[in-house]
Amino acid sequence: MSHKKLLLAASAAVLLNVSPAIAASDADLDALRAEIQSMRDAYESKIDQLTSKVETLEAKQTQTSRATTAGIANIEPAAGGAPAPATAQRNIKDSSFNPAVGIVLNGKYNNFSSKESEIAGFALGEEGERGTEGLGIDETELNFSANVDDKFRGSATIALHEHEGETEVELEEAYVATTALASGVEVKAGRFFSELGYLNSHHGHADDFADRPLANRAFLDNNYGDDGVQVSVVLPTPIYTEIGAGAFRGNDNPAGGAEGGDIGAWTAYGRVGGDVGNNTSWRLGLSTLQADNVSREAGHEGEEVLFEGDSSVYIADARAVYAPTGNNAEQEVIFQGEYFIRDEDGTYEDTEAATGAIDYNDSQSGWYAQSVYKFHPKWRVGARYSQLYAGDVPAGLAGSSLDDGGHDPWAATAMVDWTNSEFSRIRAQFSREEVADNQDDNQFTLQYIMSLGAHGAHNY
Amino acid sequence: MKKLSLILLGLGVLFAFPTSVFAKVKIFACAPEWGALAQEIGGENVDVYTASNANQDIHHMRAKPSLLAAMRKADLVICSGASLEIGWLPILLNKAGSASVQDGAVGSIMAADYVPLLEVMETVDRSMGHVHPEGNPHVHLDPHNIVLLSKVLADRLSEIDADHSVMYKSRQNYFATQWQEAITQWESQARGLKGSSVVVYHKSWTYLLNWLGIETVASLEPKPGIPPNAAHLASVLESIEGKNVKAILVAPFESEKGAKWLSEKSNIPIMKLPFTVGGNSQSTDLKTMFDNTLKQLTNN
Repeated sequence: MSHKKLLLAASAAVLLNVSPAIAASDADLDALRAEIQSMRDAYESKIDQLTSKVETLEAKQTQTSRATTAGIANIEPAAGGAPAPATAQRNIKDSSFNPAVGIVLNGKYNNFSSKESEIAGFALGEEGERGTEGLGIDETELNFSANVDDKFRGSATIALHEHEGETEVELEEAYVATTALASGVEVKAGRFFSELGYLNSHHGHADDFADRPLANRAFLDNNYGDDGVQVSVVLPTPIYTEIGAGAFRGNDNPAGGAEGGDIGAWTAYGRVGGDVGNNTSWRLGLSTLQADNVSREAGHEGEEVLFEGDSSVYIADARAVYAPTGNNAEQEVIFQGEYFIRDEDGTYEDTEAATGAIDYNDSQSGWYAQSVYKFHPKWRVGARYSQLYAGDVPAGLAGSSLDDGGHDPWAATAMVDWTNSEFSRIRAQFSREEVADNQDDNQFTLQYIMSLGAHGAHNY
Repeated sequence: MKKLSLILLGLGVLFAFPTSVFAKVKIFACAPEWGALAQEIGGENVDVYTASNANQDIHHMRAKPSLLAAMRKADLVICSGASLEIGWLPILLNKAGSASVQDGAVGSIMAADYVPLLEVMETVDRSMGHVHPEGNPHVHLDPHNIVLLSKVLADRLSEIDADHSVMYKSRQNYFATQWQEAITQWESQARGLKGSSVVVYHKSWTYLLNWLGIETVASLEPKPGIPPNAAHLASVLESIEGKNVKAILVAPFESEKGAKWLSEKSNIPIMKLPFTVGGNSQSTDLKTMFDNTLKQLTNN
């Protein structure tokens, strides 16, 4: 009995003495160990608990020392006596103090059989239009990115491109994002490509084809990238589930004409994904872009239309990646598709023909489906089909950009590309576009995409 | 009613005890070798998710949805580092990782930060092919590095899950003792290999060959990350003529095509070493993986 009391007293003493002193001295720890050692024989099981307390204290001590020695790892000689090598300490990478800089160089040769490229029934923005014919450089992208500190990271992408003989500078993306919020939560603020469908959030140079599908060109003017805030949450579910929403200024097509003050556009998305076996992964998503009080002028040259009202885009996207040998570096098949519906409620005005504002309340839709097959580590082939369906054109707007002339625009595309390393790719692409009645366009494109500097992440 | 009260009781029990009593430490391992090591040290107190298998080239993986879901739950991330996973790990960390698994935090272990690196580049130019300026990232094939990492793992697990720190440390102690014995045995087994030479597909074997004192006379890849081509293979064949080359080493995720051609022309055997846990049917854990590697190398 008295032994038990002694033990209780001893443990109490140990607890009282030790617990507040996180940085207990080695002498204290040694004394404790000695005390414990002396009692070990009689009180095996209880002693274990005390040992564990000491261990916890030691762990805390190492923790503080780790923090104060700026990340130098405590590597002790291994149990068998292998000496710790002199260089075995945490390397602090020089580059982590500078922004990672990446440049994407992109050049094209385009040959089109048709002079006309206007898509019947759709008023496209500037970016969504067909590329320029002949030799030329496409977008040159400069990207800077780095962690700002332990809680934020930042990224800026500046694109230089030619438009009608002039070099234009465009701030494509400039955003900061959180890195250390609650698990799975990310807040992004600034200018960036919104999470809408699959392709929208990706930069063009990462695409599998030389141009965006008709649907993305018509409904999102290639990319919807606006100034705002976006919150995304990866949920702790067994399969991948992510939801998110954003609020934006409303300045990029299909929004437009934001005068400040109000939030001009909203987005929301949800997606799920997972694996089937070891070799296949899949992803499904739904998203929407709601632009209110839009004032947007777009369309074929000389047939521009001004839209004023509310524009809502709904997108369903699906993607599956299959690696026949289980190793994506060797062989890979990608299936991908998106379906778009755009509902617009407001007025359209043919500014050239001075039709005045004509009521419009209708929806347009479109889709694309594509597949890319990597049959050799360096070679890939791909095929894509895209189609658009314009809405009914109000009587007053017959003959304008919105008049599809009874034709549903479509494009069929085939490509082959050669990837020397993950930093360089050369592509040949052939497209047959029938985007308006009696307007058959055979398009041939030769393209190179090369990246210098920082190693970009691969898309998923 | 009975069911409801049972559920309530269950909930009561759940809330009455701190969750740590039940919760295992969730470990996200980029590669099978790290998953296997985490299991050795963590035992039944950890849940290990291994992001890849032996047939996959880790550098070319994508941040696929299932990996995002796994990262979302991770308490500890263990990977090779030195840019090996740079194409996908940053996306997972940004999108789904908690603050405690970000680079430099308690729940992040990049193996290359804790071992002496080989092939560290003073200057790097991409014309050299795909080189990692920080050094060669395939550090797990020197068994001495495995011991160093087991210690780091035990320390971090003890910090994350202090209740079981005694267990983690004693498991590490036991593992390190056994491992050291195994190293001694492997080293005596491989004594005869010192000074011999091999052809490799990619610089996947640097640490293994450096450990055993085996020389690399040629790579099938013309430059790291650039797949073999006919012209380069022909020059490799020429360069090894007259040399006593032991084998052509190929990892499970590397294409055998070029190696087969060279093997036929030169009569040098192809050796498919496991590279990592699960790399062949004998390599079920770290020890059997090294056992099999040494067995194949010395039987030749």
